[in-house]
Amino acid sequence: MIQLYNVTKKYSSDSVAVKDLTLQIGKGDFVYITGASGAGKTTFLRMLYAAEKPTRGQILINKKNITRIRGPQIPYLRRQIGVVFQDFKLLQSRTVYENVAFALEAQGKKRYEVSKKVYQALKEVGLEHRLQRRPLELSGGEQQRIAIARALVVDPLILLADEPSGNLDQDVTLEIMELFKRANARGTTVLLATHDHSLNQRFPRRVITLDQGKLVGDQQPLQV
Amino acid sequence: MLERMRYFILRALRNMRQWPFLCSAAVLTMAVALATVATFFLVVVNVEQLSQRWTKEIQLIAYLQKAPSRQDIPAILNDLKAYPEVDSVSYVSPDDAMNRFRQRLGDDASLLEGLNSQLLPASIELNLRPEFRDQEHISRIIERLENSLEVDDLRYGQKWLERFNSFVNMLRFVGIVLGGFLLLAALFIVSNTIKLTLYARRDELEIMALVGATMRFIKVPFLLEGAIQGLLGGLISLVFLMLSFSLIISRSLNSFWLTPNDFNLLFLSFNQQLILVFSGVVLGLLGSLSSLRRFVRI
Repeated sequence: MIQLYNVTKKYSSDSVAVKDLTLQIGKGDFVYITGASGAGKTTFLRMLYAAEKPTRGQILINKKNITRIRGPQIPYLRRQIGVVFQDFKLLQSRTVYENVAFALEAQGKKRYEVSKKVYQALKEVGLEHRLQRRPLELSGGEQQRIAIARALVVDPLILLADEPSGNLDQDVTLEIMELFKRANARGTTVLLATHDHSLNQRFPRRVITLDQGKLVGDQQPLQV
Repeated sequence: MLERMRYFILRALRNMRQWPFLCSAAVLTMAVALATVATFFLVVVNVEQLSQRWTKEIQLIAYLQKAPSRQDIPAILNDLKAYPEVDSVSYVSPDDAMNRFRQRLGDDASLLEGLNSQLLPASIELNLRPEFRDQEHISRIIERLENSLEVDDLRYGQKWLERFNSFVNMLRFVGIVLGGFLLLAALFIVSNTIKLTLYARRDELEIMALVGATMRFIKVPFLLEGAIQGLLGGLISLVFLMLSFSLIISRSLNSFWLTPNDFNLLFLSFNQQLILVFSGVVLGLLGSLSSLRRFVRI
C-alpha cells in the first residue's frame, strides 16, 4: 500500500528531517511510527499526504507514484487518506455534525448521502447524541473522536494519526486506540505516529523507529 | 450542478453570518470607495454640463460709434451673416437697448424717464457657431469687424470662458487620475479586508485542503462571498448617493444663484447606476481573487 525508496527530505542544507528512508507497508497493516521529538515522524506522515514533497527518493501509494504529484491531483490523493492530529483540527464555529459532514461535502457528495454517512460515522465513535454541540462544549477525548469520525467518514484506504493521544489521558487513549483497531479490522491501513511506548505494549503491532530522520528499527510484533 | 451552486451560495452566506464584523467592514469599505468615485464623477459631469450651457450663451457684441441708417442695416447684417463663424446676427438699435434696459430695471424703470434713447449706443450681437467659440477665431472676427464697421467697443466673455474651460479640462484630468487612484485604493482595502476574513478562517482553509477539497471547491464560496459583498457595497453606495443627492445637494444647489433657472443637476443614468453596482461586484471578486491567490495553497 505504501512504498518508500531512499526518501530524503531536507528543509535546508543543514536541516534534514528524513534521511534515506526505504520501507514498505502492506495493505491493512497497523504500524506505529516512533521516535523522539524531531525524529522525523511528522515529516514522514506529511509526505504521505503530499503536504511536503521529498527532496530525493520515491513514494508510492496504492501503486501510484506521488513523488512529483501536481497541485490539482493532490485533493484526489487526500480523499484516500484520513488524517488525525494531536490538536484535533476541528472547526470551533461548526457543530459536531457539520465538522464531520465537511469532509464529505468537500468531496462533492450528495446531501442525503452526507447525512446518512455522518450519522453512521458518529455512531461508530459513540457521539451520535452530540450532533448539534460545538467542539468546545465537549471533552478532549470527545473532540478527538469527532476528528476520527471525520477521517473515517470518507472510507479512506489509509488512516494517518500524528500523536493522536498526545493531549489525552490514559483511559481516553485506550478508547481512541479501540477506534483505530476497529478501522484497521475493516481493512484500513493505519499509521500511528507516537512517542508513547505503552501503546505498543497494550496493542502490539509493527513498530518503525526513526532517529534524526533515519530508520533505526523496524520490529514486527511478538504476538498479534 | 444546481445542488453544488446552492451549497456554495449557502456556504458563502453562512460565512458572512459567522463573521458579521469583517463582512460589514468589507461591504462598507466598498460602499465608501464606490460612493466617492461616483461623487467625483457627478461633479465632473455637472461642471461640464454647466460649462456647455455657459459656452452656448456666449456672444460677441459690437457697440457702434454711430447708429447706421435704417436702409443700411440689412446689408450690414447680411455681410456679417456670411462669416463662416457666425451662426446668427441681430441688430440692437438704441431704442431696443433702452427698452431692454428698462425691462431689466423692472420697478425702477421710472429712473429712465425723460432720458434720450440715443444716449445708448446701437450694437450688433453675433452668436458664433460652437466650433468657433475660442480666442483665436474670435480675434480674427474682431479684426474683420473693426475693418468693416465703425466699432466703438467689443464685448465678449471669452477670457473668462477660456479660463473656465481650462478649469473644466483640468477637473476632468484630475477626475480620471483621482478616480483611478481611488479605485486602486478601494481594491487594495477590499483585498486586505478579505485577506483578514481569510486569515480568520485559515483553519477552515487548511482543513478543507486536508480532507481533499479541490481548489475550485475552496475558492468558489469565497469568490461568491466577495461578489455578494461587492453587490451590497454597490447598492449601499447607490442608495446613499440617491438620498444625499435628492435630499440635500440637488435642493440646495438648484436654488443657488449661480445655476440658471432651467438648469437641473444631473444624476447617474440608469445604465450608470447599473455600472456602479456592477463595479462593486467586480471589486469584490477581484479583491477576493487577489487575496485567495496568496492564502489558499494545497
